[in-house]
Amino acid sequence: MSTAPNAAANPGGGNYLTHGSTLRSWLLTVDHKRIGIMYLALIVFSLFLGGVFAMVVRFHLWNPSGGLVSNDAYNKMFTLHGAVMIFLFVIPGIPSALGNFVVPLMVGAKDVAFPRVNLLSFWLFVGGAVLFVATLVVGGIDTGWTLYPPYSLESSRGLGILLALTGVFLAGFSSILTGVNFIATIHKMRAPGQGWFDLPLFLWALYATGIIQIFATPVLGITVALGFLERIFHLGIFMPEYGGDPVLFQHFFWFYSHPAVYIMILPAMGIVSEVVAVFSRKPIFGYKFIAMSSIAIALIGFLVWGHHMFVSGQSKWANVIFSFLTLLVAIPSAIKTFNWLATMYKGHIVLKTPMLYVLSFFAIFGVGGLTGLFLGALATDIPLHDTYFVVAHFHFVMVGAVMIAFLAGLFYWWPKMTGRMYDERLGVASAILVFLGFNVTFIPQFMAGTLGMPRRYATYAEQFQGMNRVSTVGAVMLAAGLVVALWAFVKSIRSGAPAPANPWGGATLEWATSSPPPHDNFAVAPRGSPPYDYTGLRRESDEAGWVPVGEEGAR
Amino acid sequence: MIRLPDLLAGSLIAAGPGYMPERASSVAEGVDHVFGFLFWLSAFFLAIIVGFTIVFVIRYRARPSRPGPEPSPDHSTRLEIFWSAIPLALVFVIFALSTKVYFAMVESEPGATPQRVQVTGRKWSWWFDHQGGKGSKELHVVAGKPVELVLASTDVIHSLYVPEFRLKQDAVPGRFTKMVFTPTVAGTYPVLCTEYCGTNHSTMTSVVVVHPDQGSFDAWAAEGKGTEETLLQVGVRVFEEKGCSACHSVDGSEGVGPSLKGIWGREEQMVGGAAVRVDENYIRESIVKPGAKIRAGFEDMMPPVPLDDREIQGIVAYVQSLKEGP
Repeated sequence: MSTAPNAAANPGGGNYLTHGSTLRSWLLTVDHKRIGIMYLALIVFSLFLGGVFAMVVRFHLWNPSGGLVSNDAYNKMFTLHGAVMIFLFVIPGIPSALGNFVVPLMVGAKDVAFPRVNLLSFWLFVGGAVLFVATLVVGGIDTGWTLYPPYSLESSRGLGILLALTGVFLAGFSSILTGVNFIATIHKMRAPGQGWFDLPLFLWALYATGIIQIFATPVLGITVALGFLERIFHLGIFMPEYGGDPVLFQHFFWFYSHPAVYIMILPAMGIVSEVVAVFSRKPIFGYKFIAMSSIAIALIGFLVWGHHMFVSGQSKWANVIFSFLTLLVAIPSAIKTFNWLATMYKGHIVLKTPMLYVLSFFAIFGVGGLTGLFLGALATDIPLHDTYFVVAHFHFVMVGAVMIAFLAGLFYWWPKMTGRMYDERLGVASAILVFLGFNVTFIPQFMAGTLGMPRRYATYAEQFQGMNRVSTVGAVMLAAGLVVALWAFVKSIRSGAPAPANPWGGATLEWATSSPPPHDNFAVAPRGSPPYDYTGLRRESDEAGWVPVGEEGAR
Repeated sequence: MIRLPDLLAGSLIAAGPGYMPERASSVAEGVDHVFGFLFWLSAFFLAIIVGFTIVFVIRYRARPSRPGPEPSPDHSTRLEIFWSAIPLALVFVIFALSTKVYFAMVESEPGATPQRVQVTGRKWSWWFDHQGGKGSKELHVVAGKPVELVLASTDVIHSLYVPEFRLKQDAVPGRFTKMVFTPTVAGTYPVLCTEYCGTNHSTMTSVVVVHPDQGSFDAWAAEGKGTEETLLQVGVRVFEEKGCSACHSVDGSEGVGPSLKGIWGREEQMVGGAAVRVDENYIRESIVKPGAKIRAGFEDMMPPVPLDDREIQGIVAYVQSLKEGP
């Protein structure tokens, strides 16, 4: 354990937050920690923006006839809600904000492999976000986030769609560069003595994510570029009126966008692996199986895109093959889930905020994964496709599982990032509200979908009113939970107690340096150590946190 | 097995007429069986996940009487094999059950000659040209008689969905897609659009009227007969107007191009050796991209003929009417 020299060598001294205070020292920084913080700020803003759109959608659906806004405005709202949440929150959330901050720390490095590329990646992301906002300014788009032609590329559509396509293109390149950086960092910059199987599972998850980012995201870039050119030059690729094929777009789009679901969920699973071990005070159960199941999910994830086109007129044999491959994803998902549960067995479970979020992840990811079976199986997908059942399913995975893991990770690494503790009572309150609000919002949507309520409907049949109202009430609860979480963070910045180097007793290397870390991350370069061996740590006090055995009282 | 989700759903939520929509097609029951199986399988695994979570949190939570974790192994290959093999086996079971039902959902019953209905989706309504020529904004079918819908779209992608039939099919511009079913219960059911298509997507609705018997259907089909041009009449008219008959005979005699008599549904040899069945998509391609597939023994010389969707449907109806024998 190399905790003590690092933690002690920097008592109240300079850290990455005080290392330069000009605007330029932030905006042009190549420090992965500052880039992570800037990403975090943008991503939280995106979550807020997407959340506002979501609330308009939910309140519009209070009555079957709609009525809050016009049909066209509603169609723009759900489009922008989806596009902002997916491209600016869920995909970049965990890797770009939390990953950027902790990846180099976890391998004991000073920075990522390509710090300048990292800064470029950030600014490409800013460019993408600005174009999304510009889309909004020129009147928004109403194509659905999936951008299916011919609807999305009709000649009557204005500037908005071109701005949105360019925004997706830029955000995509940002994602590719992040993936390249993480893979290079994990390969080349591991601490001395840190073998592949000494890597924290969060890094295995981000490594698997990097593979998908590098191989799938270029296809998205090509697809939106072709869409852009089709719209302007009428090349005849996707539009039937020029001799193109709209289903080809769907193949291209989902060849990226289904793996993108694993870009979202794998880092979330990585956070769960970290938190469940630390807060059970036990080595993670089945390390190698969890690590390899991440890789398995990444690889199988490339072969399932056709399940989005079961009713498109695709050949029935293609449907059968895609159905089988899709169902296979259940196996690595099950392996992970059972290993997490086994980690808690005979543990010493500490119910702090990050762990509460992770416990709610188990239930919600359970539902999200299991309802995926209904959509991978052809007989049930045919009636459920494009209904609220699908909406509920992907919200369970992308909001329930990913956003909740993001919050778990944010509470978990917050003391490291800011050097301040948060109010535990507010954290617990937020976790409970988010869990309840989430379920109240989306369980009724499973019901509505099973009964045949199609998605993207500005108005709906009377029979669904009760379910929609319950769902709207749930959305308010969910929003309240997020506000409480935000309050906890703001309060922490304003008046939080100083955080010790290792408040949770983690054994991964980011806890071996001070909170917040110095500009160069470590005063003394750490050596690799088993990431889940907690026997060398002892809890001293709330103020001093966890320290290596034999070095108690060093502070 | 199927009543159980009803009970559970009833206790979960008071709104709605029950867990599943009414069953009104020959495949609905099979679909519901797969749904019920998945529902209870999922409930079982969710109970395991949530149950173990709760039990472990209660038993192993940090508290004064429990100062630290107890020693326990950090891996077990036997356990990993156990909880990999069971999901794998279940994947095969789910796949087999579901795929068997799926084949029944996309294939007409063997030997049946389904009633063909040409369906056109457009912003924001449906149009149905029934066999025999009757066109309507509503779909009319007869209980117990197999139906084949041939879907087209004139603008963007739409998707035809009848919850009571458990069936759905996209209508994609530039091609024809198919949906087959046998309605089982007379009644009127909603037809919805489930592929987002713009402003009035949510009101792009119609109904399917399932007549109890052929007589009832015939009486409906006879209403207003002869007042509107049928698809077949459109086809005959376009065939003459566009000068198709200069090269294509309808009596089997070979001209510059192949005769259209009797080709519907036949496998034809193409230049290059491939065999292609003459169906609506082949006919569409032969009109808009004539050079894509050339019948063996003929030359690539036909110019593309720009027809709209309805004219193509008309030509298809005409070629069908030229099929030899029953």
